[in-house]
Amino acid sequence: MNVPLNRTKRNLTIAKAMAEAIAGEMRHDPAVLVLGEDIGKLGGVFGNTRGLYEEFGAARVKDTPISETAFIGAAVGMACVGMKPVVELMFVDFFGVCMDAIYNLAAKNCYFSGGQSPVPMVLMTSVGGGYGDAGQHSQCLYGTFAHLPGLKVVVPSNAYDAKGLMLSAIRDPNPVVYMFHKALQGMGWLGTVKGAINDVPEDEYLVPIGKAAIARAGRDVTLVGLGATVHHALDAAAELAKENVEAEVIDLRSLVPLDRETVLASVRKTGRLVVADDDYQSFGVSGEIIALASEAAFPQLKAAPRRVAFPDIPIPFSPALERPLLPDAAKIAAAARATLGTK
Amino acid sequence: MATAVAVPQDLWEEDMPGIISAWLFEDGDAVRQGDLIAELMVEKTAYELTAPEAGRLKILVQPEVPFQRGDVVAQIE
Repeated sequence: MNVPLNRTKRNLTIAKAMAEAIAGEMRHDPAVLVLGEDIGKLGGVFGNTRGLYEEFGAARVKDTPISETAFIGAAVGMACVGMKPVVELMFVDFFGVCMDAIYNLAAKNCYFSGGQSPVPMVLMTSVGGGYGDAGQHSQCLYGTFAHLPGLKVVVPSNAYDAKGLMLSAIRDPNPVVYMFHKALQGMGWLGTVKGAINDVPEDEYLVPIGKAAIARAGRDVTLVGLGATVHHALDAAAELAKENVEAEVIDLRSLVPLDRETVLASVRKTGRLVVADDDYQSFGVSGEIIALASEAAFPQLKAAPRRVAFPDIPIPFSPALERPLLPDAAKIAAAARATLGTK
Repeated sequence: MATAVAVPQDLWEEDMPGIISAWLFEDGDAVRQGDLIAELMVEKTAYELTAPEAGRLKILVQPEVPFQRGDVVAQIE
């Protein structure tokens, strides 16, 4: 058979890319271990720890009781004495019972100790809705975590970035909150966004924390997204291209540190800005990006910036109610047209 | 000659339908023997499907469409 084999291409889901990154670090750094609910034998309800228990055993891949207060507190302690725990908060919505460990202990210990006791932990947590899992399993809460000094926050939108950001997160001496979107994870029961599955090198590589990516270049309007909304923005850009509007799509990738330079360079070029965020609208990422553009690129703005975000209400269980409230490509395209004065 | 890619009869035990959660290659892509080509989902448990031989992948069952164990979901041409 004479088939040119594309040996270099190896598509992975975000779930697999995360597991591969963690396994790679565990192989050469004995300080790395994984903790969480159902992350061991089951391989994680979102597939992101599959294979780790079989390779590294129960001592380094620890299934915990259902007490985030206990095991996330334990992870902070482990990090303080030099281990590098990767701990999973299964749904970000559950942060309430463990937030003291996260924002009073993990986020502040390095500062309080004058740098003598850093907290090199990764808190990985699933975010996002769209599959009818109701108000306690569907939130993003990007703004909640990005608001607190002392935590780095990353949000991968595809498998390549998921692996590179995970490696960077584990090696970072600071606590990193790694927020992965369920709709991108590649798990059937959550739906799967095709663009999230991409080619992932088998070798290790780092995606730097604090660097945004230009997912699509354009000159007429800047569309800023993160996680799932990057894919909606790309779909919107494809629609706008049919109307001869060239949208530039920015994937933030990191919220803390925020890559202000990349956002500003784009806005200064296009003069128009739409931010898409499936977190609640008020006091969040969309407002922060628009404030940034207003403070630092005001003379170049040709129209008032717009945002497409989740309304400030609890997320409904009913798909008929939830779906219309989420950001999508049509809403982003409409917002872009509004900045251009077209309909 | 095309080789059928069937979901193994013993991949899971219960008599429940599965779905393709993600094809990891596009229709028409070249694949190597042993490449992970698809992820399957039964209830909330994930399974993997690998290429039985090298060749060009022809996808017969799209994601989210239910099938039974033993069904042919693709061909390698």
